[in-house]
Amino acid sequence: MLKILSYIFRNGIATVANPCPPLEEDADGMPALTENSCSGTGCNECATACPTDAIEVSNEDGVGRVSLDLGACIGCQLCIDICPTGTIVRNRSTRLAKKQRDDLILTNHESVLANSLKRSYEADVKNKIRNIFGRSLHVRVVSTGCSACDLEIGACGNPVFDLERFGVHIVASPRFADVLLVTGPVGKGMRDSLLRCYAAMPEPKIVVAAGSCSITGGVHKNGYAEANGVDKILPVSVYIPGCPPHPWSIIHGILLGMGKVQS
Amino acid sequence: MKPVVKDVNILGLANTIKDWLHARTGARFGLLTSIDGKQLVTLVLDPKASAAECWISEVSDNTYKTLTTLIPQSHWFERSIYDLFGIVPDQHPRLKHILLHDEYEPTFHPLNWQEMGKVGDKTDNRKKTPILSETLSQEKFVSTGAKREYKFLQVRGEGIYELPVGPIHAGVIEPGHFRFNCFGETILNLEIRLGYTHRGVEKRLTEIHWRKASFVAEAASTDTACANALAHAIAIESLFDLEIPAVAQALRTVALEIERLAMHIIDVGGLCGDIGFSAGAAAAGCLRGKALRMGQMLTGSRFMRGFILPGGVRKFAHQHIASMQKNMQDLRKELDELFELLAENQAARERAEKIGVISKSLAEEFGVVGVTARACGISYDCRQHFPHGLYPKIAPPIALQKGGDILARTRVRIAEIRRSTDVIESVLQSITGSEHIIKLSNDLPANQTGLAVVEAFRGELIHLLFTDGKGAIKRYAIKDPSFNNWTAISIAIRNNLIADFPLCNKSLALSYSGNDL
Repeated sequence: MLKILSYIFRNGIATVANPCPPLEEDADGMPALTENSCSGTGCNECATACPTDAIEVSNEDGVGRVSLDLGACIGCQLCIDICPTGTIVRNRSTRLAKKQRDDLILTNHESVLANSLKRSYEADVKNKIRNIFGRSLHVRVVSTGCSACDLEIGACGNPVFDLERFGVHIVASPRFADVLLVTGPVGKGMRDSLLRCYAAMPEPKIVVAAGSCSITGGVHKNGYAEANGVDKILPVSVYIPGCPPHPWSIIHGILLGMGKVQS
Repeated sequence: MKPVVKDVNILGLANTIKDWLHARTGARFGLLTSIDGKQLVTLVLDPKASAAECWISEVSDNTYKTLTTLIPQSHWFERSIYDLFGIVPDQHPRLKHILLHDEYEPTFHPLNWQEMGKVGDKTDNRKKTPILSETLSQEKFVSTGAKREYKFLQVRGEGIYELPVGPIHAGVIEPGHFRFNCFGETILNLEIRLGYTHRGVEKRLTEIHWRKASFVAEAASTDTACANALAHAIAIESLFDLEIPAVAQALRTVALEIERLAMHIIDVGGLCGDIGFSAGAAAAGCLRGKALRMGQMLTGSRFMRGFILPGGVRKFAHQHIASMQKNMQDLRKELDELFELLAENQAARERAEKIGVISKSLAEEFGVVGVTARACGISYDCRQHFPHGLYPKIAPPIALQKGGDILARTRVRIAEIRRSTDVIESVLQSITGSEHIIKLSNDLPANQTGLAVVEAFRGELIHLLFTDGKGAIKRYAIKDPSFNNWTAISIAIRNNLIADFPLCNKSLALSYSGNDL
């Protein structure tokens, strides 16, 4: 007992004080787009290389346009390595979660106005949710996939990330959960169980999709198991991209659902 | 690695396999599958000779006499062949659906080409395949068009009750259903039903170009991303005749060992958590993070995704080698401290000793692999026998225990953590050179068979692929180590207390998604 206590004191506090810092220099992270115009369909290297068909390249008025769906992206870095015009670059931010599915689709020709309109609409929704879930939140995690996202959610609870300090508790039953945190692509085999779990939760409740599989099916999409993501069967309030998302990204996504952070 | 491919008659296949295995010490039954529903494929391994044979046996009338009665290990293989190909093992003692649940059409067999045709081909010219239903006797299969259904084994008697658990578990883990039959607190029987995370990985691997396939192979079970990517790379490379750069081999070895280190640490941590030793669980969480950080230094990703590719590795971050070595030294010290605390913890010992015992004979019969096998005295570690990374040249000594209980498995795991740190340190020291990947031709050789046998952190992982006449992959089979080990836990837990099940389950650390694919 004394040895354990001494071990605990010697190791001190491991928790990182400021949540959701950018990733370390050696991390690759997810891609981001700059406003650099690209060579368009003449090049098309990124779209060809992408293992999940997350990238579309087109030509508009002679300028190359790229759109990249973070909801399908698995962060493999192939497009970044290959892009000759510096249009697709690394993004070490861990604040990647979005409330709107469309916001995950990046382009190199973003219309600033359209986005700000969307934000003000979002703010209304956010206030509403903050009133309900502002202080504490109980999360029921349902895995339908390959356990990487689950391990990262598990890591959120360790002393370094310490999810509980934000009032977020991972609970063992849907009966007292506010949030259904879904990982994995929701293939046919898990659909019924997931719906029953959602039905067992009391109102108000929200669904958070963690990981590219749960958003679009990721590498599994459009297969015979119809594993195309959770928003095909349930309304999703927050999307957390990544394969798997970094623990900070998961925490950011949950805090976003609580209205404690901005998108 | 290239297996010897030959035709073997389906009549008496079970005896042929048995004879082959008996003739060689340490020989193993690798896997049983099919290519397109017209044949059975048997893979047998001879670890001592680093050799493998792949037998093709033609199946007529969609049925053959079951192997399970002579080779118990094949019972789940036969179930999965029934689901995926519609081939019926006649007289199988317990034929049930294992991967495809009620949601799928009864006649749906995704990997049977004769039936399914091409992807998206909706014309209904499939021939009728037999369906299991209550009214059918095991000997006579006729198509009834009945719904797929699953019947659990019934245990009857005064005071016996049934306890269903899952598919959604209390903790943050993958889904699967456990059906316990208990008498008081004692488990009389446990039946495990999996398949909830079936995503069609094997089919997808034949649908996409092989250059994009390694990301799908990784996602077979992303906690085993490195081992899966490595097995995929080796299986592809084995089709060509080429030499992978030494740097790539060294980095692959380091990545594989970092994965083992990180996962073994979290498994030991999980065990601490389950016995209420929170300080140990918290410490293990932090230490796993440090191991993952090393993986990130090496590859840019905590799970080392997209690092190992056919032909080599994606990058060589030589600027981080020095800091990795430093991290490794620190981590080793901290791990030692944690293990010392755990070893002195009387509660840990009492909860783990003589619980969930898997006997050596059971393990041999069901082909149990990995930590679980080594904990009951089976000296089998693919790193000793099959080429992957720098193995078998620098394979560390096998960590063996005899007890077969939770304690033995934990001891093996801890010994392997120590040996992994040794391997990582020594390999990092010796890396010289810079060429880390070679270019492979876009077209794979036609009509070839590729094989990889890799020691993942859970044990023997097999990838087997076949190319067609044009060089496209026509069948990609994955055998996750858990596929062998799930049966072991359902037998080992009999006559144990229900309260010991979570701990026992944790000590086997099985994968649901790797099993379901």
